[in-house]
Amino acid sequence: MKWFDNVTESVSRKVAQNSSRRSFLSGLGTALIGGAVIPILPVARAADAHGGGQATAPIDGELDDPASCDYWRNCSIDGFLCSCCGGTSTSCPPGTEMSPITWIGTCKNPHDGKDYIISYNDCCGKTSCGNCFCNTNVLDRPTYRPHTANDINWCLGTESAAYHCTVTLVLGVATKKA
Amino acid sequence: MKKRLSSFLIFCLFNSFALAELPNDKMGVIGTLPVPYPDHWLLVQDASFFHMLNGKLIVLDAEQKTRNEQYKGTFDNSLIASIAVAKTKPEIYVYETFYTRGNRGTRTDVVTIYDKASLSPLGEIIIPGAKRASMIMSDYTIRLIDDEKLLLLYNFTPSTSVAVVDTVNRKMLSEVSLPSCSLIYPTGKRGFSSICSDASMISIQLDKNGKVKSRNKIASFFDIDADALFERPAMINGIAYFPTFNGNLREVDLKGDKAVPGDSWSLVTSQERAANWRPGGMQLSSADSAGNMYLLMHKDGAEGTHKNPGSEVWVFDVVKRKRVKQIPLQLPGFVIEVSKDKSPWLYVTNVEMNIDVYDAKTGEHIRTLSDFGQESPFKLFSAN
Repeated sequence: MKWFDNVTESVSRKVAQNSSRRSFLSGLGTALIGGAVIPILPVARAADAHGGGQATAPIDGELDDPASCDYWRNCSIDGFLCSCCGGTSTSCPPGTEMSPITWIGTCKNPHDGKDYIISYNDCCGKTSCGNCFCNTNVLDRPTYRPHTANDINWCLGTESAAYHCTVTLVLGVATKKA
Repeated sequence: MKKRLSSFLIFCLFNSFALAELPNDKMGVIGTLPVPYPDHWLLVQDASFFHMLNGKLIVLDAEQKTRNEQYKGTFDNSLIASIAVAKTKPEIYVYETFYTRGNRGTRTDVVTIYDKASLSPLGEIIIPGAKRASMIMSDYTIRLIDDEKLLLLYNFTPSTSVAVVDTVNRKMLSEVSLPSCSLIYPTGKRGFSSICSDASMISIQLDKNGKVKSRNKIASFFDIDADALFERPAMINGIAYFPTFNGNLREVDLKGDKAVPGDSWSLVTSQERAANWRPGGMQLSSADSAGNMYLLMHKDGAEGTHKNPGSEVWVFDVVKRKRVKQIPLQLPGFVIEVSKDKSPWLYVTNVEMNIDVYDAKTGEHIRTLSDFGQESPFKLFSAN
């Protein structure tokens, strides 16, 4: 599995070259193929620390980039970003079906400083998108409180339970943390 | 004369080669595995997260030094299955979902029963209603109880229920509805408990036919927002040891008919708490046969780091409530499992998706099981 060796080398090289977690992650995302790195953000953070690098704050632009794990609406996401899968942050890719049942997060919009309730709707019916995997877990809680749990496949009430990607819909301003 | 002699010798030599020809091989020979599996065999569930129809369970011999010797066999599972490995019989139960056209068509949820020796299906039990919980795999979405005569299956639609299956006669017996409660923690002689969304629990005992015999509600006993229990405790002598997000351990006694929440105690010193050492990972805890708990820990924890890989495994004597060892990992890991023999080995899925093997007593790194066709090895089962 030469490609896997290459991945390891690439990770090390990126850690060495970049103090920015942003750059590190985009490099990692490019380098990793197949299912090699699933919990990419936690893994990257750990690899960063292991390699001696210190995680840094998001670059401002990425807070507004729907294809970035640091897009402000993605604070509690666990899956593939539909923005990278032929859809957008609010619409599913062609031929999929949006799940009507979701988990929710509470994410701060950096522009107005308000906390918004975000509905993470899964797009379903096709195999995993495979592009732009993100796992951020702010206010995520275990599956015994399902409505804030991102470990569940939320392709429920759809024709097929096959998970493809996730969109992030604003449901309103939060009056308290969900 | 010389020429004749040499011709004769060449003839003899040729003949001797002819005698050494290989016999024909038999066709159709298929290997089998020894049952019970040796102590340091390991079952690896690959979620195949990027193509979930193609999940698989891979059997490895961690004692062997080369990849070819380590690999013992595999079988398929579909759409992130829940898997239970029996201890007292040579069977593995796989609760999985199929569609007639791959990812589309008519859905069937089924428990497929695999034979440990042949890694082939022995039978199956259809579970009606299309209710199987599809989520990151766990020991607590599927559970054998009552000396492995009953198999409990967690359903989520998002209404929750538990299907009860008779493993002897291979049939579904009943379905127990749950009031906003989740997961399966074996409790008492023939029952289970579930954690509810208001931080309470419910305990249910069953009769031999899988019908509900008793229900007991346990009042809310922790704060999900402030310091949630991880849903994957270490089970030691009938007590569930739940790590918490902030680095405490909550004991819940499951030996009787109903769950009894016990003390909560700190896993970290005040200095470690100041450095934000916290538990984290996916399959983050395990136990050995001596009753020690193993837990993945990471530094600089904060809100949202509870799934981060751990840089160390901490070992606790849960009776004395004392840490007895810290094992620094070669690479951070997010899944751990400990074998149950007297010379326990610690297995760790690391951030490169390979599996590091450590001597659990000394913390010495023994070897890495790597590049055996795995992609996302999110669940490990010790063979013993």
